[in-house]
Amino acid sequence: MTLNYLLKRMLGTIPLLLGVSLVLFGVLHLAPGTPMDVYADNPSVSQEALDQMKVALGLDQPLPVQYTKWVTAFFTGEWGYSIRTARPVVTEITERLWPTIILGGSSFFLALLVAVPLGVLSAVRRYSATDYGITFMSFLGISMPVFWLALMLQLLFAVQWRILPSAGMQTIGENSLVDLLRHLALPALILAFANVAGWSRYMRSSMVEVLSQDYVRTAKAKGLPHNKVVYRHALRNALIPVITVVALDFAGILSGAVITETIFAWPGIGRLFIESMNGRDYPVLLALMMLGSFALVVTNVLADLAYAAADPRIRYD
Amino acid sequence: MKFTPISQHSASRKGRLLLALTSVLLCGTALAQERGGTLTVGLSYDIDTLNVYSTGYLGDVQATVVEGLLAPDRNANYVPVLATTVPTIKNGGIKVSADGKQMSITYKLRRNVKWSDGTPFTSADVKFTWEAIKNPKFIAESKDGSEDVSSIDTPDPYTAVVNYKRVAPDYASTLFTFGIFPKHALEGKDLNTDVYNEKPLGTGPFKVKEFRRGQYVIMERNPLYWRKDSKGVQLPYLDQIVFKIIPDANTLVTQLKSGEIQMTPSVPYAQVTQLDALPNMNIVKNNVLSWQHLDFNFKGPEALRDLNVRQAFAYAINKSAISKALGGFPKPIDTVVVPVFSASNRNVVKYPYNPTKAKALLDAAGYKPGPDGIRVKNGQRMSYKILVQAGRANDEIAQQVIISSLKAVGIELQPDNKTGVAFREARYKGGYDVFYSGWITSADPVYSVFFKTGGVNNGQGFSNPKIDALLNRAENTLDPAVQKSALMDFQAELMKVLPTIPITTNLSVIAVTNKLGNFVPNPTNMTNFVNTSSWYLKK
Amino acid sequence: MTELSSPAPVPVRVVRTESPWRRFLRTFVKHKLALVGLGVLVLMGLAALLAPQLTPYTFDGQDLDIIGTPQPPSRIHLMGTDELGRDAFTRVLYGARISLSVGISSALIATLLGTLIGALAGYYRGWIDTLLMRFTDVVLSIPLLPLVILVSGMIRPSVTLLICIIGALGWMGTARLVRGQFLSLREREYVEASRALGGSHGRIMFRHILPNAIGPVVVSTTLAVGSAIMLESALSFLGLGVQPPTPTWGNLLNSASQWLQGAPWLAVFPGLMILFTVLAVNFLGDGLRDALDPRN
Repeated sequence: MTLNYLLKRMLGTIPLLLGVSLVLFGVLHLAPGTPMDVYADNPSVSQEALDQMKVALGLDQPLPVQYTKWVTAFFTGEWGYSIRTARPVVTEITERLWPTIILGGSSFFLALLVAVPLGVLSAVRRYSATDYGITFMSFLGISMPVFWLALMLQLLFAVQWRILPSAGMQTIGENSLVDLLRHLALPALILAFANVAGWSRYMRSSMVEVLSQDYVRTAKAKGLPHNKVVYRHALRNALIPVITVVALDFAGILSGAVITETIFAWPGIGRLFIESMNGRDYPVLLALMMLGSFALVVTNVLADLAYAAADPRIRYD
Repeated sequence: MKFTPISQHSASRKGRLLLALTSVLLCGTALAQERGGTLTVGLSYDIDTLNVYSTGYLGDVQATVVEGLLAPDRNANYVPVLATTVPTIKNGGIKVSADGKQMSITYKLRRNVKWSDGTPFTSADVKFTWEAIKNPKFIAESKDGSEDVSSIDTPDPYTAVVNYKRVAPDYASTLFTFGIFPKHALEGKDLNTDVYNEKPLGTGPFKVKEFRRGQYVIMERNPLYWRKDSKGVQLPYLDQIVFKIIPDANTLVTQLKSGEIQMTPSVPYAQVTQLDALPNMNIVKNNVLSWQHLDFNFKGPEALRDLNVRQAFAYAINKSAISKALGGFPKPIDTVVVPVFSASNRNVVKYPYNPTKAKALLDAAGYKPGPDGIRVKNGQRMSYKILVQAGRANDEIAQQVIISSLKAVGIELQPDNKTGVAFREARYKGGYDVFYSGWITSADPVYSVFFKTGGVNNGQGFSNPKIDALLNRAENTLDPAVQKSALMDFQAELMKVLPTIPITTNLSVIAVTNKLGNFVPNPTNMTNFVNTSSWYLKK
Repeated sequence: MTELSSPAPVPVRVVRTESPWRRFLRTFVKHKLALVGLGVLVLMGLAALLAPQLTPYTFDGQDLDIIGTPQPPSRIHLMGTDELGRDAFTRVLYGARISLSVGISSALIATLLGTLIGALAGYYRGWIDTLLMRFTDVVLSIPLLPLVILVSGMIRPSVTLLICIIGALGWMGTARLVRGQFLSLREREYVEASRALGGSHGRIMFRHILPNAIGPVVVSTTLAVGSAIMLESALSFLGLGVQPPTPTWGNLLNSASQWLQGAPWLAVFPGLMILFTVLAVNFLGDGLRDALDPRN
């Protein structure tokens, strides 16, 4: 893997993001209604003010012009102003980004920490009661509607046992890490749940495949201890395909936080997204979607890099 | 978010004024009020801005900071706040011009009131408020009343004379009750983007300590507040009020149960019974002066312009079933002026639940059942779109009862629910066939916004010269007797023409800890938080 | 399926020891969980189809005597009644109709689109491939859930529209899959032969190559049914799904969440239905994957 390759990949994301921006712009502008409709029938807003806003937002220009202007502005960091709150879009988003990264990041690692051992266990004890048990639980995880589980856990932990807060990101006036962790526990658990299920399945099948391969059998035949074979040789190779899946899911976790954030009153970008959608706050919506796509594209590249790092046979030039 | 009763996003403040009469009296006990403590309140909506004129929601938080010249009390009577008296014709505060077409109102302002930064409050602030709101560059959610005013004179720092272009009996429910802007802090600033929207400066009992978007607002005591209690103790009693933003209704209730919040101003009906069982909660029920209604779009399908059809709708709808489905909280009504008003007309034409009569009416008018049971006339099936605000659990439940009621007489209604701006747009432009929702009236109701030709909230395109004339008469007089008789006639006529079917009048449910003393559920659009200075927490 | 042994002018049929179909069946029936999954899905499908025969109630029939107070499960109401006095069992049955058809139809649309795009790209290669695959990359780079929420938020969808939206935004995986298969299969001898015989492009693509590429596509379609059902319930939670009184498992679960403590049974049954269905779909997908894997 060379720096050259990395550079090439990064440059390759630019046309991709341009394509994304075109699709998103199209979706938003082909749909009925414009941001100005918020004020259309509000007699408090005069026609004069409306026209002023239209010009300020560039909505009086033809669509291709609007698009070009928006794209160049966007890529140079000029994200405009929120229609709903009149604050800069950048401020709106950066304020909300951090909580989402905390929540998404911790649930990501939590899921990884649980999923890999489960998958390995399942593969090593293939067709045993343990395997079936884990398989069943993970299918349960894939199939469970998150909000249902979330409400149940809130009632149990916050109302019944009173050991965890039911929602929010911090106790007001407290800024300690412990406090944050207590608030993080339930939403991170919920968000991790679905991924544990999926990932442990991948881990299992990948491990099963590796374990059946010749070199593993040879290693066993050579009399290497079972555990060493499994954890030194097989695990490493089995992790490679899983890394790709896991890395790709990271961006998915961020976007999947929409519902979890609503339930747990977590002040992240998921909720900002819903609020902006109800208010047809196009500048914020576009920026959020672009950011989501950017995260997706970047994790894609990272997944490839991680893949190469884990498997010495793979070389990118 | 799903069950969040989002504000109506109404175009008009007049249409948003919310008033209620308490049915549960929370008598202030004789115990000594103690200073100190923090009250934590759960709000179900994400605050957009703390500027009371720009927000798309009712200003619960803002009401603890910003004060107006007048404010409605618990019975929706106006009491003086920054003014010393409520101006009337009798006390000389209101003068009507000789031709009876204009009026002027003189407010005597309270002395020794300071903004929380120490600057004295004067009549210049009153004048500035009007100018700032009227400024076309200011994108406000409501500018009601600002166009009625022609000029404001400030003969001295404690007198403001407001000159009106017309006789406006509703003057109190708009501009200066809503809140006064600090001239010294806002003059020359862009109100759309000013820091005021994050940290409003007011004369109220509290000031903003910290506003974390999407999370909470912490209000702390304003040490310069002007009110003192009867013993001369400086108000407010509470150290802090914390507003937490909890968008999910289930989580809101969970937080009440776990003690993480101590109050929430609006509990979904379905959850009231669970909260009733909590030992340390008071459930306060407010008879809200709002009414739910089913509107017909006069720009829509032809059949809906047929009075027989509208009458059939009215007979077909089972109002008591709707009430029952919502836990019995909303009460069936027969006219748009809700029963608590003395001008509510009990003798309008009534349409009691009677599906047989509805069917007979439709049969006689030539709407015959088709092969699928849905009636047809001239090849037009009686199948219509019904709009409600998506996510309002109570409205969606009522909608389903209405759909079922009408199906029973051979009319099909298809739900076409929308949220946010899409809903607003449909509501004001008439993007529906029939529309179920609620309107909320002020203490001095203005009905022309709903029913007059071209009225702001008249999205259904209803127009009737007789109604127009009656509303004109009611809303251009300061004589209560004239107003009442005009309103009575208006209702009688309206229920004959039937552009709208009044369904129920509502009740709002507040959950509040029984430790909170002096809590008075102020039920207007000025919210329950309009006078928080005397609230205290029992130890 | 025809297999050609040599580029001879007259194709010669090779005698097969076991047809792929038989082999598939043999492996599939060994997969117990997949059979259970299939069984559950067939049962659900039948129950949905026979809903009017299975229940004396209608899905929107309200009992005015008990309206406003949900009743617990009893002999007359197997799953109790909801807040409008409607029979919950009936609503779950009719909900199956919508939920299953949203799941199945949108999965089919996604598969059709994905197959078509993947086939064209993989078969023609060159600039068509580049164009289609770059487009696929672009759509894949947009986070799915927010995009679905955005689109259904702007045009509040009917059931049909909802199916189209979910289908139209879920084809990318299939397209990549099919393209890969086509790229390798188009070089096979039998394809060459058929081309030499003057078979039209369409015929070669859909008669000769596609049947050999169908395995992974079937698996991904199956799994897509499950995720579409989940997606509908997520949209319902946000108030953007199918509108009541038409029942779907998603909106049943959603309106029940208000009564989670007063009437928990209202949430339990539709919740279980979603769970069982998605579970069954996943089991089935697993079994199909094993059975269609040529290495088995």
